[in-house]
Amino acid sequence: MATLTATIPLAKSKAGQRLRRRFLIGRVLSYAALAIAVLLVLFPIYWMIITSLKLPREIYRVPSLWPKTFTLDNYSKLLSDGQFLIAIRNSLIVSFTVTIISVIISSFAAYSMVRFRYRFRGFVGRLILFAYLTPGSLLFIPLSIIMAQLRLGNSLFGLIMVYLTFSLPLSTWLLQGYFKGVPREVEEQGLIDGLSRIGVLFRIVLPLSAPGIAAVAIFTFTGAWNELLLALVLITSESQRTAPLALNYLITSDVLPWGPLMAGAVISSLPLMILYFVAQRFMVAGLADGSVKG
Amino acid sequence: MSLAADPSTRPSRRRRLPTGVRAKLFAYALVAPVVLLIIGLVAYPFFFAIYVSFTDQVVGSVGKFIGFANFVYLSKSATFTAAIWNTVIIVLVSDGLKLLIGLGLALLVHQAIPGRGIFRSFLMLPWAMPAFVAFLTWRVLYQPIGGGINLVLTGTGIYPHVVDWLGQRQTAMGSVIAASVWRGFPFWFISILAALQSVPKDLYEAAHIDGANAWKRFWVVTVPGIRQVVIVTTLLSSIWTANGFEHVWLLTAGGPSDATMVFPVLAYFGMQTQRVGEAAAVSVAMLPILAILVIFATSLMMRDED
Repeated sequence: MATLTATIPLAKSKAGQRLRRRFLIGRVLSYAALAIAVLLVLFPIYWMIITSLKLPREIYRVPSLWPKTFTLDNYSKLLSDGQFLIAIRNSLIVSFTVTIISVIISSFAAYSMVRFRYRFRGFVGRLILFAYLTPGSLLFIPLSIIMAQLRLGNSLFGLIMVYLTFSLPLSTWLLQGYFKGVPREVEEQGLIDGLSRIGVLFRIVLPLSAPGIAAVAIFTFTGAWNELLLALVLITSESQRTAPLALNYLITSDVLPWGPLMAGAVISSLPLMILYFVAQRFMVAGLADGSVKG
Repeated sequence: MSLAADPSTRPSRRRRLPTGVRAKLFAYALVAPVVLLIIGLVAYPFFFAIYVSFTDQVVGSVGKFIGFANFVYLSKSATFTAAIWNTVIIVLVSDGLKLLIGLGLALLVHQAIPGRGIFRSFLMLPWAMPAFVAFLTWRVLYQPIGGGINLVLTGTGIYPHVVDWLGQRQTAMGSVIAASVWRGFPFWFISILAALQSVPKDLYEAAHIDGANAWKRFWVVTVPGIRQVVIVTTLLSSIWTANGFEHVWLLTAGGPSDATMVFPVLAYFGMQTQRVGEAAAVSVAMLPILAILVIFATSLMMRDED
């Protein structure tokens, strides 16, 4: 494409004009296709937001594409009994704790595997990758039994434990990639300057990998924030529900409260959408490096 | 330390900086927490699940070994057969579509056109949305009453009748697939776009000078440049789609009458009715296929590493 653009101003001949016309048609078609794709991407998001701002009348009786009256009724209805706020709080507690634990101990493991050679290194690498790809649809059954035996079922602590099953392999795998980018010479200089090995890790490697660590933290947080299946089998009491669980139980009741449901959807996606928009560059780089679950 | 003594040493692949027993112990200590947690939380439960699938365990009992009885029972169950077929169809169709859409859009955005950054941001949005939010939203979109899709189709006259998309057998599967493509294509789009950007520009110019047209350049330069990424993405996405729970659970819960039943939802129903042994057998029965995909993906990803 770059070469094509460069040749266009020079094109005066008939062949040049033909080339130019083909180029313009290509442009128009590209924009048309992209515009349709963006429209299809945005419509569900639009519908979620707009439904959350509608009165029941405009949702069920006379459905409208653009509401005549905007209302925050759905939000106050959802938040009135305080249960959803507790769920959001639970989600925040679980996601933050999982993120902190896994980023810390995964960076230890990743650093060990990148910088040292030892007998079981290859085995550990394989174990982590297998763990990353071991399906949650298989693990949720034994994990719920084991957590019940440990008397950790129906608790946020238990949920944090089982979320480590997917967050640890993911963050170790990704961090390995980032740590490889830290030049060994910089670490050697640190050792010569009298830093201990743990000092090298904390003062040199981690600060230099800060963008990577930020990306890993966001991916881990997202994974925990979005998880539904393990929460469904582990959590039984209303006070321990996370946000996805709270919304899941909204639709299993007999009346279908689309308005409050979409209000909950907007609230639960807002933090992540903002985070992703702000940190998009990290995210794309991180994704390209490690293939992060979509 | 050895380096301080001999600064002329060129760092080579084989020689790591700290040597000796202390360094080894340090390395083991660093990796130990993750390894122990993964053994306790992934490896042990994995084998425990396989063991349980050979027992008649129900919640609150230990259960006794019953050999292949659970699998024999499942093989005669129409719901299980449906779950296998539906899982295969969802993986093939939705990942095929995600590949086509993701590749097409990545090629479009990869062109040097004004506004490509904005298009990229918008096209990534479904990926930034939590999966449960995305599928709950699609559930509302598909509704006969209050759903946006019926409203647009009847309003514009494209299709004049209101359709209960999730409630009838003919449309339920297609609807689940459409929603899962919407949520899943950005992962492909971003991965392929990143791969495209890593293909050296002079390869295109060289091919151009050699007289290759756009179509030829695509096959000779683009395809080899992104092949590895596409293969790994295909494997990963197939594993995730096959094990996906939310898209079916939140949209149809497997209905109507098993039309969209997939094995993770079936296993969850087994757990709900407390028949742990049977539930585990549902997941374990899928293991051979998944194992092939996982082993393929692992070896490719490890090869990338080295």
